Amino acid sequence: MSKKQLVYIKGTKDGLVLQLDDQCAYAELVEELKRKVSEEGIDGQAEVVLQLGNRYCTEEQVKELIASVHTTPHLRVSRVQSDVISVEESNLRVLERQSETFIGIVRSGQVVRAQGDLVVVGDVNPNGKIIAGGSIFVLGRLKGIAHAGANGNKEAVIGASWLEATHLMINETLEIMTDELTVLSEQPEMECAYLHTNGFIAIDRLQELRLLRPYLSTFKGGS
Amino acid sequence: MGEAIVITSGKGGVGKTTTTANLGTALALQGKKVCLVDTDIGLRNLDVVLGLENRIIYDLVDVIEGRCKVHQALVKDKRFDDKLFLLPASQTTDKNAINPEQMKILISELKRDYDYVIIDCPAGIEQGYKNAVAGADRAIVVTTPEISAVRDADRIIGLLEKEDIAPPKLIINRIRQHLMKSGNALDVNEITSHLSIDLLGIIMDDESVITSSNNGEPIVMDPTNRAALGYRNIARRILGESVPLMSMDEGNKSIFSKIKLIFAK
Repeated sequence: MSKKQLVYIKGTKDGLVLQLDDQCAYAELVEELKRKVSEEGIDGQAEVVLQLGNRYCTEEQVKELIASVHTTPHLRVSRVQSDVISVEESNLRVLERQSETFIGIVRSGQVVRAQGDLVVVGDVNPNGKIIAGGSIFVLGRLKGIAHAGANGNKEAVIGASWLEATHLMINETLEIMTDELTVLSEQPEMECAYLHTNGFIAIDRLQELRLLRPYLSTFKGGS
Repeated sequence: MGEAIVITSGKGGVGKTTTTANLGTALALQGKKVCLVDTDIGLRNLDVVLGLENRIIYDLVDVIEGRCKVHQALVKDKRFDDKLFLLPASQTTDKNAINPEQMKILISELKRDYDYVIIDCPAGIEQGYKNAVAGADRAIVVTTPEISAVRDADRIIGLLEKEDIAPPKLIINRIRQHLMKSGNALDVNEITSHLSIDLLGIIMDDESVITSSNNGEPIVMDPTNRAALGYRNIARRILGESVPLMSMDEGNKSIFSKIKLIFAK
């Protein structure tokens, strides 16, 4: 009886997929993977996707698996797929996607924090600070400090009915609002700030958001 | 059972003490029994503004530390027969001499005997502020049409909203109508919408407020003065009357132009 294969190589329309068995021992798998990739007679360089199936791997293990594939110069791992995540990660994701609503006025010296998106219904007064892991939307006047994407999300945006903030921060990019940003002084009404591809914070009409960040929309229903 | 009102502002020099003295006097003039409490320990001056400085025997700290009874420390203002009293602050120690719990007990004791207990809060947001706010049922925030005063008012309103008291009300003090009209000072609507709290009243800037304070006579005692009118209106609003907001031109118009206006209608 032939031993069960632990690593399958499949060709899909998106490229090569290395499907790893999710039942065997991890050490066995690494060994098999190393052997398999050294055997393969591939010329040039191909990108592969690592499919872990139902195996939960720690970050170190994922790194080791990638390193194993990279022992051959012909294969590059483009991404790692897994069907499972830990409860902790799952909770974190839920939090990050959650939208929190604050109703009231964020006054001078106050700080409002959210893990995910943050919706403020009311004003943010000068020296008031709002921080969110996701995007920030203010139904009211934003005249204080807003920090979106605080956990490393560069796609986060800051939208406000009246965008007149003193400081805007997205991920780690800070913009001190001065009169130089003429967009602001001309029309602070219904605007949003986002991280432009040039690395600076740009400001545009709120209506442009559907083109700038279409994937931020989470809406599913409707017709 | 009376009501305790704290007068606060965050920033110093916007007129907390003047407002306390004048509102207290105005309420006393309306026939209410009023006790003013100065919590600015170490920098007291409510007594000076009221002209009661030389009649102080005991003070707030003496009461709290049990060296005297409350009624012994209260200074009666003889101008308003048994209507206006002052509990002066101590000048020799500092704000840490008392704590919020002690203030709560003292204020609730005073509320039993007076219709209104008006607490003059020191500037800042530290111990002195905490002591002053502790016993209050509601708060009045004083600001002036200056950006710095409005910022501090915003901060103090934020802190007050965390306390277990009624939403604070706003007094805009020292309005100079020519600056406001020319747009060189923040205008009343701007300040009110920025702070988003109810406006209790406005007080016009008037030099005689300073001279009257120096003489130890609250300006509100002069019924012809426009700042005094502002304070009287506020006192009436505190009592529940609805008094329209003073027009900023009113002070400048002569009696003849007012008569003309009546005929013009």
